Amino acid sequence: MTGHIAIQQPGKSVVTDLGRFRGPRFGLPVNGALDQYSARAANILVGNADNDPLVEITALDFRMRPDTDILISVTGAPLTLTVGGRPCSQWEPVSVSAGETVTIRGIHTGLRAYLAIHGSVEAPTLLGSCAPDTVIGFGLQLSEGTSLSVRKSVHPVRQPYFDLPLFRLGLERPGMGSALLVDVTDGPDFAEFGDSAALLFNSEYTVSGRSNHIGLRLGGQLPERTSTGEVLSRGVPVGAVEVPSREELLVLHRGRGVTAGYPVLAVATSTGLDILAQARPGDKVRFRRTTVAEATSAHRRSRQQLETLRESVQTVFDLLGIGSRPGWQDLAAAACG
Amino acid sequence: MPALSVASTETYESGDSALRVVAISDEREENWLTVHRLAGWLEGCGAEGIHGAVPTYDSVLVEFDPYLVSARQVRAFVQLGLRELDATGASSTEQREFDVPVVYGGEYGPDLERVAEYQGLDPADVIRLHSEKTYTIRCLGAPAGSPMMDGPAFPKPVPRLKDPRLSVPAGAVSVAGRQAVIAPASAPGGWCVIGQTPLTVLNLRKEPLVPYKPGDILRFRAIEAGDFAAYAGRELEPRP
Repeated sequence: MTGHIAIQQPGKSVVTDLGRFRGPRFGLPVNGALDQYSARAANILVGNADNDPLVEITALDFRMRPDTDILISVTGAPLTLTVGGRPCSQWEPVSVSAGETVTIRGIHTGLRAYLAIHGSVEAPTLLGSCAPDTVIGFGLQLSEGTSLSVRKSVHPVRQPYFDLPLFRLGLERPGMGSALLVDVTDGPDFAEFGDSAALLFNSEYTVSGRSNHIGLRLGGQLPERTSTGEVLSRGVPVGAVEVPSREELLVLHRGRGVTAGYPVLAVATSTGLDILAQARPGDKVRFRRTTVAEATSAHRRSRQQLETLRESVQTVFDLLGIGSRPGWQDLAAAACG
Repeated sequence: MPALSVASTETYESGDSALRVVAISDEREENWLTVHRLAGWLEGCGAEGIHGAVPTYDSVLVEFDPYLVSARQVRAFVQLGLRELDATGASSTEQREFDVPVVYGGEYGPDLERVAEYQGLDPADVIRLHSEKTYTIRCLGAPAGSPMMDGPAFPKPVPRLKDPRLSVPAGAVSVAGRQAVIAPASAPGGWCVIGQTPLTVLNLRKEPLVPYKPGDILRFRAIEAGDFAAYAGRELEPRP
């Protein structure tokens, strides 16, 4: 059984996934959900695969209405979520009946929210990914009247008492705020900045309004490259911290051009990039120096939490008969028949 | 004749999800061949957790998922690849050739005069130097799989623009430093645009999205502005 979701107020929203991992070899940025933890969590909470297409909503209010029963989850920046006028929890699965309006309002202390739908939605792909690429003009950008095709419908799952939230999965939510601490490791060209590299760890930077999915521009005290000479174009990692001008520090994010000729001072860690994905213009950022080994451990801890969540969700969904496996509803029907 | 040996390399940490491997021999060709062969080997080896490799001139960026594989493991894997490549030697791959018609100067190449003046040449000499060279595509770069090539034999490297353009059209033919490139898609750019090809380079319905690959041969051919429309809409294709 399938249906459609009508987008009534798109705000600034796109259908995306974890990224075009086969893109960089062909000169295309990886793109995909900027806050990877929140995107994975959203999909896991509705029983999807981590990489299934979902909606990324940036900063502005959003409203939609499905014509079939669906199960959704909303993660990322704190916001006000209502379904059919009832306030609902973020970071939990939420049932939506056909015809009910879902609103997302007042995204604050953070910038991006993720909306996943059980069974996911249809979206065109390029090199195996639906992630939008603004440079080549690919991707599904939502606008008023867009109709998303839902792959699966789910019968409403409701607490019979006062419509209290049914799930309490208790996932750790990423910390958000207007003062952000971002872990970085030394970049391959760290030495080219001499003593001035230390400024990166001792200064506070302000997020510029010119920041986007390609990179964050930060004002503050800038380390300076001490060496000169032409740098050959090289592949640059997502998270690369560069000093391309005398005005701003640049931290490249998932929309970054894959090659560049600037020396890489430092590289934001995977968890640091999720934090930067939620940085709003005017927010303050400090950088903390870490090692690749520590960054890897931190990332694995957060991914392990998501694995634990996946198990909890699977258990609950099995009990409620959500998803492909037969559950109690089918068993009950079989017993009656 | 491609170099048979594999250049020595250095590997640099580049965050928790990437490594930069740099070939450091004195031979540019050997360095280039080494990083591209290594990238090919990494693409083909099917190792879990390795997303892919971005080879350029003397370096290759190897990207991976740090949940599935660590930087240390990838580093060991790269060493394995290099040893294997060293043992097998380079196989010759088919080189395709591309002819690219270009309208130089005027609205199509707004920086032609500036480049000529800086080089102390006539615009006609810049066009001649640019179109008489046979280029090898060194790598695919930003934006959108641009063919990055060693530039024409100008007297001096070409400085980048002080104020990069917010938008350079698809098909723009540019030079900077000692490099030359074609823009497959419209994007911001700080390189000097000396011409534009009417051909379509990027095709989102094909895979890969651009028709050339590193190692292919490319030549530019000057055409008149009046002929631009006649070529427009045609795709860039290898010579039969």
